[in-house]
Amino acid sequence: MESEKKERNKLSKRDITKLGLLSLFNQSGMNYQRMQADGWTFAMIPSLKKVYGADKKGLIEAVKANLQFINTNNYAAPLLMGLEASLEENGEERSTIDGLRVALFGPIAGIGDAITWYTILPIVAGVTASFAKQGSILGPLVFFIVYVAMFLARIPIAHLGYSAGTKAISKIHENSAIVAHAASVLGCTVIGGLIATYVQIDVVTKIQVTSSHSISIQKEFFDNIFPNILPLAYTFLLYWLLKKKNVNPVTLIILTFFLAILFSWMGVL
Amino acid sequence: MAITLTQGILIAIFAIIAGIDFWLEGFYIFRPMIVCTVTGFLIGDLKLGIIAGGLTELAFAGLTPVGGTQPPNPIMAGIMTVVIAHTTGHSPATAIGLSLPFSILMQYIILLCYSIFSVFTKKADEYVAKGEFRKFGMIVLLPTVLVALAYSVFSFLSVYGAQGLMKTLVNSMPTWLSHGFTIAGGILPAVGFGLLLKSMLKAKYVPYLLLGFTAACFIKFGNLMPVAIIGASLAWIEYGREKKEQDVNKKFKNMEKSLEDVGGEEDGI
Repeated sequence: MESEKKERNKLSKRDITKLGLLSLFNQSGMNYQRMQADGWTFAMIPSLKKVYGADKKGLIEAVKANLQFINTNNYAAPLLMGLEASLEENGEERSTIDGLRVALFGPIAGIGDAITWYTILPIVAGVTASFAKQGSILGPLVFFIVYVAMFLARIPIAHLGYSAGTKAISKIHENSAIVAHAASVLGCTVIGGLIATYVQIDVVTKIQVTSSHSISIQKEFFDNIFPNILPLAYTFLLYWLLKKKNVNPVTLIILTFFLAILFSWMGVL
Repeated sequence: MAITLTQGILIAIFAIIAGIDFWLEGFYIFRPMIVCTVTGFLIGDLKLGIIAGGLTELAFAGLTPVGGTQPPNPIMAGIMTVVIAHTTGHSPATAIGLSLPFSILMQYIILLCYSIFSVFTKKADEYVAKGEFRKFGMIVLLPTVLVALAYSVFSFLSVYGAQGLMKTLVNSMPTWLSHGFTIAGGILPAVGFGLLLKSMLKAKYVPYLLLGFTAACFIKFGNLMPVAIIGASLAWIEYGREKKEQDVNKKFKNMEKSLEDVGGEEDGI
C-alpha cells in the first residue's frame, strides 16, 4: 500500500488559519438531506486545492467525498476540518479519511454542544441579562465581546485539529488497509446510531377497542417489536432505492415530503 | 407609538444581518440580547431594547438550535418583543408572549428552507463532478442569500406592513399542513443516511450498523458518545484481528518462498 501514496503539497500555518475562518461557512448550504455537507466542503476546498495542486482528478474525488451527510457543532467543525486537512496532506487513503470524519462528527458535536450551548451560553446569558434588566448597556456589550472572542477561537481550534492529525498519522500510516477497515467499522456503527437518533417516525393512530380503552399502534405494536424500527426500515428502503434502483435523491426527498403531509392529513403520523 | 417607514426599513436591514448570522451561527448577534438592543436603538428607545434584551435572552436560553433542530426564531422574537412593547405600551414581559406567533412562523419558514434547499445538492454534485468549484461555491452560498431575503421580507411585513395579518396567518395555517412539514423534517435525514450507506456500506459492515443502531436505541444519553465508544472498541478489536491475520499471512508467504527457493536449488543439482 505504501507505494500507492502520492506526493501532496504541504499546507502552511496561514492555510490552517484561513481554514479556521472559513469554517464560518459550515452551515451556509444547510439542508435536511445532508445537513452541513455543502458548506463544510465549501470551507475545505481552498485547502484541498492547495494539497492536490495540479492533480485535478484527485481534487474532484476528494471534494466529492466531502459532500456526504455531516452535522456537527459549529465550534467543533474547525477541529475536524484541521484534522482532515492534515490527513489529506499526507495522502491517506480515501476510506480512512471519510471513515474518520463520519465517525467523529457526532461525538465531537456532543462535546461541542455541551460546551458552547449548555455551558458558555447559559453563563454568559445569565450574567449579562442581570445587567441588561437594569437597563445597562454593559449587558449586550459584554455579550457581544464574548462571542467575537468565540468566533476568533475557531483559528486555534483549527490548528489544534491539524496538529492532532499530524501526530496520529505516523501510526495510521503503517497499516493503512487495516486502518481503513477499522475506520469503516467505526463509521458504520456510528451511522447505525445516527439513524436511531436523527430519523423520527411516530405513528399516532390509536385503535379504539372499547369506549374507554384504546391501543396505540406505536406504543403497543412497533415499540414492542423494536424501538425505532420504522426509521431503520425507511432508511433501508431509501438505501435500496438509491443503490439497486438508482433513484434520484431529489425524487426521494419529494416522496418523503408527499408521504409526510399525506400521513399527517390522514392523522397517521 | 407607530413604527415609521424608515424605522421599518432599518429593522429589515438589521434582520438580514442577524438572519445571516443565525444561519451561520457566526457572531451570535442573532441572540435576543443583541437583537432587542439594536432594535431598541433603531426605534429610538435604547433603554427599552436593553431591558427587553435581558428578559427575552433568558426566556430563550433553553431554546437552542442543537443538532440541527430549529427553535422558535430568536431574531423575530427579539424584534417583535421590542416593537410590540414600543407600539402598544405593554411591558416587555408581556410583549415576549405576543411576539411568539411571529417567532414560530419564522421557525417554520426556516424549517421549510432546510427541506427546500435539499434540492440544490444535485446541482452542487454536478458542478463538483465537472470541477467547476466557483459555481459550486455560488450554489452553496445561495441558501444563505435566500434566507437573508426571507428575513428582510418577513421582518419588514411584521414590523411595518401587516402585523395583524401575520398574526391571523399564523393562526389560520391548517395544523395538518404545518404538522406534515414538521414530520417531513424528522424523516428527511434518512435520505442523507441512505446516500451515506450507498457509498460506505458493504455486507460485512451490516452487523456493525445494527449494533450501533441497537446501542443508540437503548442507551439514553444526550449525545452519541456511548455509540462512538462501542464503535471504537469494535474497530480496535477488528484492527488487532486483521493485523494478526496479516502477520500470519506474511509468515506463510515467507515460508512458501523459502521452500520454493530450496526446491529451485535441488532442481539445479
